[in-house]
Amino acid sequence: METIKLRKITSLWIITVLFLFIVNIVLGIIMRLNQGEILHEQPATFYAHMTTHGLTQIGIWFVAGMTGINYLMERYLKTSYLANVVAMVLTVTGILMLWTSTYIGNFHAGWTFLYPLPLKIMWAKWATPLFLGSILVMGVGWLTWSVSMMTQILKKYPLTKALAWQHFRKNPTIQTPPFILISMITLIGIITCLLGAVLLLAMYAAEYFSNGAFVNDALLMKNLTYFFGHTIANEMLYLGLAVIYELFPEVGGRPKWKATWYVALAWNCTLVFILTAFFHHLYMDFVQPVGFQIVGQIASYMASLPAAGVTVFSVLVAVYRTSIKWSLTNLLFFIGVAGWVIGGLGAVIDVTITNNFVLHNTLWVPAHFHTYNALGNVLFSLAFFHWFSIQFSEKTDFEKLTKLKLTLLLIGGIGFLLAFYIGGAESMPRRYSNYPAEFPMAAPLAIGAAVFATIYLAAILIFFFQISKRCLNILFSSSSH
Amino acid sequence: MFKHFIFIIIALSFFFTQLAGAQIASTGFEEENNIYEKVYDAKLNLNNGDNRTLTQLCASKPVILALIFTRCSGICNPFLVQLKENLQFKTDTDNFSVLVLSFDPRDTREDMVNLSKSLNLENNKQWLFATTGDIEKLNLSVGFNPVWDSIRSQYDHDALLVGINKEGYITKKLIGIRNKSDLELLIRSVNDVFSPSYRLPNKNRLFSCFNYNPETGKNTPGLGLLFLTLPAVITLLLLLGISYTVRHKRILI
Repeated sequence: METIKLRKITSLWIITVLFLFIVNIVLGIIMRLNQGEILHEQPATFYAHMTTHGLTQIGIWFVAGMTGINYLMERYLKTSYLANVVAMVLTVTGILMLWTSTYIGNFHAGWTFLYPLPLKIMWAKWATPLFLGSILVMGVGWLTWSVSMMTQILKKYPLTKALAWQHFRKNPTIQTPPFILISMITLIGIITCLLGAVLLLAMYAAEYFSNGAFVNDALLMKNLTYFFGHTIANEMLYLGLAVIYELFPEVGGRPKWKATWYVALAWNCTLVFILTAFFHHLYMDFVQPVGFQIVGQIASYMASLPAAGVTVFSVLVAVYRTSIKWSLTNLLFFIGVAGWVIGGLGAVIDVTITNNFVLHNTLWVPAHFHTYNALGNVLFSLAFFHWFSIQFSEKTDFEKLTKLKLTLLLIGGIGFLLAFYIGGAESMPRRYSNYPAEFPMAAPLAIGAAVFATIYLAAILIFFFQISKRCLNILFSSSSH
Repeated sequence: MFKHFIFIIIALSFFFTQLAGAQIASTGFEEENNIYEKVYDAKLNLNNGDNRTLTQLCASKPVILALIFTRCSGICNPFLVQLKENLQFKTDTDNFSVLVLSFDPRDTREDMVNLSKSLNLENNKQWLFATTGDIEKLNLSVGFNPVWDSIRSQYDHDALLVGINKEGYITKKLIGIRNKSDLELLIRSVNDVFSPSYRLPNKNRLFSCFNYNPETGKNTPGLGLLFLTLPAVITLLLLLGISYTVRHKRILI
C-alpha cells in the first residue's frame, strides 16, 4: 500500500538518523575521554557537548520510531506524506539551530535546560532564544506529524476501537491490530508531552521577553520540563515496541500477534501512568508535596510493568520451543527487548524512593537510560532500518557480517554500560566534566567506557554503510521496485 | 444538559477565583530583591585604620553587612544591640565578619569608632565599623533605600542585614529585628550552606504550583498546578474533537 514517495522519505530519515547517531556517539566518546583526563576540554565545551548529545539523541531516536510506525501504518491506512515531509524539514532545521546555539553560541545548559539556567546567560545572548527556538521548531514538526497520524487512525478506527476497548468484552467482533493500539496509545502520549513542551517554551519566552515583569515558578518549570522530557524519552521506546509487535512474528515466520484483553488493558494503563511517572524526577524537590512523590513512584512501576510484562511474554512465547526463522532483524529485536528490560529494571530500582536517596544524580541514571536506549530502542530501530532496506534490494547477502555486528554491539554496549553502572553503584555523580580526587575510579572507568563505546561505534559504522548503501539505492531509484 | 454546563462553568469560575486570589503576595517585604547579584565593591574606611574594598573584605571571610547611621534616634541602636546579643553566644565566629557600615555621608571614621566603643565592640575582631564614599552605589546594589526626612532630621530606613559570601554575591537579606533562627539561616547562606526555603514572594510570579502560608505552615494549590494538567486536557479535547469530526464526515459521506 505504501508509495514510492514514502519509501524515499523513509530512506532519507534512516540515513539522516544513522549519520547523526554516529556523530553523537563521537561526542559521547569525547565526553568520556575528557572525564578520563585523556582530553582536556573547557567545562563549557564539555557541557555544550552534553547539551547537544542529549537533545540530538532524543530527537533522532524519536523520529526513528516515528519513521518506523509511519511506514508500517501504510499497511492499515493512508498516512500523510506532507506531514512526514514537514516533520523532516523542521527536524533538520531544528537540529541545525540546536548545533548552532551550542557550538557557535556556546549554549551549554544541558539537554534538560532546567529553569532558570537558560536565562542565566553565560554564552552568546542570542544562543538562548535560538536553543529554545530549536526545540520549538522540532516540537511543531513532530506535533504536526503525530496529530496527522492520529487523525488518520481515527478516520479508520473509531476512538474506542483504536484503543481496543472492545477487547474488554467477550468475543469482540472487531480486532484492533496491536500495532494500531500501541501506535495510538503512544501518539496520544507524544502529543500530550509535546504540548507540555510548547507550554514550557511559552513560559520561558514570557520571562525572557518581559524584562523582569514576569517571573516563572521554578517548581512549575521543573515539573513541565520533566513532563515533556521524561515522557518523550519513554514514548519513543513504545514506538519501537509497536514496530516489534508488527514485524517480530512476521519476520520469524510466525502468525501475527493479536490484541487480547490483557494486551489492551496493559497498554491503556501505560497511557495513563506514563503521564504521571515523571514526578520521580522531583524526589529531591522538598517543596513538592509528598503525595506527588508517592504518585511518582507508583506510576513509574505501573507504567513500566504492564507494557513490559505483555511484551516480554509475547516475545518469549513466540520463541520458546517454536521453530522461528532467526535473522538479523529478529535478533536485534530480541536483544533490544532484553536491553529494554534490563534498563527498565535499572530505572525501577532508581525510582524507588528509598534507593533514590543513594542513586539520585549518580552515574546510575545515565547507566539505565543508556541501557534501554543504546541496547534497547536503538536496536529496535536498527532492526526496522535493516528490514526496510532489504525489502527493495535485489541482492541476497543481507545477513553478511551479522555475527561481527552483533558481537561488536554487545561487547561495546555492555562494556560501555558497565562503566556507568559501576560508577553509579560507587555513588559517582553524573554531569561532571572532570572528577575530583575523591573519585579515584572515575577517570579509569571513563577511559574504559570510551574504549567500549568505540567498539560499539564500529558496529554502528558497519550498519551505517550497509543500510545507507541500500537506502541510497531506494532514494535514487526511479522504478517502483 | 445546558443547566449542567452552566453549573460546571460557575463551579470552575469559583475555583479559579480562589486560585487567583491565592497568588497575591501577602507581605510587603522586599528581601528577595538583589539576591545572587554582586554587591558593589565599595571602598571602605575601617575603624581599625585599614582602607579596603568590600570585595577584598569578603574574600577573606563572608560578611554580614548592617546599614546604620550614628545620629539615628530610631531603630539603629536597638538593631545593633539585638544583633550583638544574638551573636554573642555563637562559638563558631570564624566563618563570618559583621560589617557595620554608615549610610550617612556626615558620619566619619571617628563617629564609627565611638559607636564601636559604645557597643563594647572596639576590640572584637569579628566586628568592623566603617564609612564609605560609595554609599549610593552600594545602597543601589543591595536594594537599600533610606529617605531623608528634613522635618525630623532623620533618615527613614529599614533595619537591613545583608549576607555576602566570599565571592561577593548577596546570598540573603533580613529586614527588621529578627530572631536567632533567621540569623542562623543568614550565616548558613553566606557560607554557601544549603538551607531549605520556600519560594520568595514576588508579585511578578503569577503561576506558582503552591502558595506557602507561613502562619499556618501549609501549602495551598496555585494556578501553576492547573498548567500541569493543561497538556493532558488539550490532548483529550483534541482527541475527542478529531474523533467527532472524522466520524461526522464519515456519516455525511
